Amino acid sequence: MDMFIQGTMNLFGDWNTLLIFAMGLLGGMIFGATPGVNMLTLGAVVLPFTITMLPEHAIMLFSVIYCAGVFGGAITAILFNIPGAPENAPTCFDGYPMTLRGESGKAIGAAVSCSAIGGLASAILMMSATGAIAGWAIRAFGPQEIFALIFFGLAVSASIGAATLWKGWLSVLAGLLIATIGTDPVGGIARFNEGSLLGLSFHSYYLSAGIHFIPIILGFFAVSEVFAQAVNIAMGTRERPKAGLEFPSAAEFWRVRWTMLRSVGIGFFAGILPGIGATLAAFLGYSQAQRWSRNRQNFGKGEIEGVVASETANNAATGAAMIPLLALGLPGGALTAMMLGIFQIHGMEPGPLIFINSGELVWITFAAMFWANLLIIFLGWLQTKTVVHLLRIPFRWLAPGILMLAIVGAYALRNLFIDVWVMFIAGIAGYLLRRTGYSAAGIVLGLILGKLGESAFTKSMQLMDYNFLGFFERPIAAVLIVLGVGAVILSIAGEFRRVEQQKASLD
Amino acid sequence: MNQQLAKLTGTASVVLSLLACAGLAQADGHLSKPAGFGDRPLTMIVPFGPGGGSDQLARAMAKAMEEEAGISFQVVNKAGGGGTAAIPDFMLAPADGYTVLEHIDNAISAYASGDIRENPAVDWIPLCMTQITFSQIYIRTDESRFSDWASFVEYAKANPGEATMANLGKVGSMELVVMHQLSDALGLDVKQIAFDKPAERYGALIGGHVDVLFEQPGDVRSFLDAGQMKPILTFLDARPDAFAEVPTHREVGADFESLTRFRGFFVKSGVPSDRVEFLAAACAAGFSNPDYAEFNRNKYMHLIDSYRDTEGSIELINGAVATYQAMYEQLGI
Repeated sequence: MDMFIQGTMNLFGDWNTLLIFAMGLLGGMIFGATPGVNMLTLGAVVLPFTITMLPEHAIMLFSVIYCAGVFGGAITAILFNIPGAPENAPTCFDGYPMTLRGESGKAIGAAVSCSAIGGLASAILMMSATGAIAGWAIRAFGPQEIFALIFFGLAVSASIGAATLWKGWLSVLAGLLIATIGTDPVGGIARFNEGSLLGLSFHSYYLSAGIHFIPIILGFFAVSEVFAQAVNIAMGTRERPKAGLEFPSAAEFWRVRWTMLRSVGIGFFAGILPGIGATLAAFLGYSQAQRWSRNRQNFGKGEIEGVVASETANNAATGAAMIPLLALGLPGGALTAMMLGIFQIHGMEPGPLIFINSGELVWITFAAMFWANLLIIFLGWLQTKTVVHLLRIPFRWLAPGILMLAIVGAYALRNLFIDVWVMFIAGIAGYLLRRTGYSAAGIVLGLILGKLGESAFTKSMQLMDYNFLGFFERPIAAVLIVLGVGAVILSIAGEFRRVEQQKASLD
Repeated sequence: MNQQLAKLTGTASVVLSLLACAGLAQADGHLSKPAGFGDRPLTMIVPFGPGGGSDQLARAMAKAMEEEAGISFQVVNKAGGGGTAAIPDFMLAPADGYTVLEHIDNAISAYASGDIRENPAVDWIPLCMTQITFSQIYIRTDESRFSDWASFVEYAKANPGEATMANLGKVGSMELVVMHQLSDALGLDVKQIAFDKPAERYGALIGGHVDVLFEQPGDVRSFLDAGQMKPILTFLDARPDAFAEVPTHREVGADFESLTRFRGFFVKSGVPSDRVEFLAAACAAGFSNPDYAEFNRNKYMHLIDSYRDTEGSIELINGAVATYQAMYEQLGI
């Protein structure tokens, strides 16, 4: 606690420090909330300037950008169905339907508060738990456990956003299939990149690099929504969403307290594991909320609990992601890798000794993350009152803007125009999928987790001499796989019961 | 915050900082850019995940070149397939010099084995090599089953096929060829586990999911300094000063010329020659940039000569291609 107070005093006692803190907070929110650019763009732009900064300022700046950036992506997810980053994708599922119902203020309010709560909780956990947690996580979770965790995540999330269980599973499996396009993670063998069609043989570099999930997400969510709304306008059935300014009430927050708590746990845990991070955290948080919620049937139709679950979890992952970086020198993602770069620019190496050698740096960073999350509530409250007015813009003017942002986002990924075409194809496909009850969310889930899962699976299989039963010799992996299989069986049984009941009520 | 205002502010700050970058370098004025080049940021593709040796090198070199040549870089990680997954992105980019690829000897072995079609000495133009280094085998410091090379060999022989090594897996890669040669010479049976992300590879050793790690000393220096890992074998003809207590592969009875790890920077063939010359000069200047020199020293790159220019790189690559092809024939890969 003394250390925290000392860190806070260092943070607020100096104008320079405070200025850097404020810039990081604003910059992170702005870049996070603008599709096409994200916190990584900001990080890359700022990185050269950190050379002349004190190392504690530079690391503090990046940790603040990280907190604010993960939150910022929720705003466009809720207002326009464009997730600012993959970890905001589950926020779309319920946040956007709430906007359509005129409850945008409530959705953003929930996202703001829960981002802050998730971030605060994980900052506190991070401060109280030292390297011990990182050491435990890295020992307990090998490739087998990570695969089992991803399998569990897929098993419990499969029916997200689909009309029936079967359509949900077909969607996820389609996502998994798309994930297999590209170069395999073990032997470097390209898949689906060569072939012949009508006697013409082709070789595609694009396909051997694999389909990236960013254009798919933009297509499925943003572009297909523009199509859907355009069709509604053409049919004359569209109602313009009202710009809701209402903030969620205390009672509403109290109702979802367990969901919040669960998401903090899930997010923190997923954040500690290198390479897993906020995206899996958000999807797992969402699917677990759906599983345990009393309003299960409302999920995907604008249930505030869904927004709460996803935003709490992805922000809880931010604080946790600092643990393996600081304690072990293992960055979990691109932004934490930039932080590793900053340490090295300043001739420092993160690792167990950093808490002893550079205590001031560690605590100013922890304090900054804590206060950044607290300030997100205030800034977010302002946003709730202001940004929702964008919805007053007529859709015929808004739509080109949304499409433009989506195009920029798809192109900026790797400066490839093919990604823009992939996005539009995904947009059309997403529109058709929605009309037929299949789930765009399921496909995205399958695609993202498929890539992570394949990498963990192939490592596991090499470690176990390609003996699948090896998973069951490891307690954590075995439990997760059994729970996953159990969840699938239960949901199938539930689906049959539902159909029986429907038949019975028809008779 | 108003969305459009936010976007404008964002764009403005990007523009401002780019102007600032350009302004700084112009003031220093070390290298003059070819007409019409380098006014927007270049992309540097790293074919491995964030945090590993290639990523650290690319970021350090990007920074040094930014300082010396007044250009700016956006570093993009594209991991997968032991470094081959990034090649399509690189080949799809226009040959205008705005896309620079960091790559390592893996690209050369992949070409030698026919996995990729591009010959790095012909289809790409090497700007420079800035890291050439040797490999070592590492264990956890708190490992209880063995403590040095001799006891590891004993353990591996007592448990044939059980000992696991975290490696960068790609059939015919430098790592696997060297391990193949070592295993053949000593009659070892060590299971190779392919990890595409370096952080996962190091985590797997520290977390106890594999028994040993194949890596270069500079990449794991932080773990060495923190006492989490220690080397038990060096792949070099003589012990370098920094690792005087660690035996070399020749000393433990493996008589072969060990392949080295090298890392360098490439553009596609067809980039205008003035731009190639500028970038190559920028790379040379970057190599002697004090911060970069310090970075390389921290990575133990001063132990052997670590720089080659375009000509030298082509020579190194052609030599390596021949060596790899001979090795594949010998090993039947």
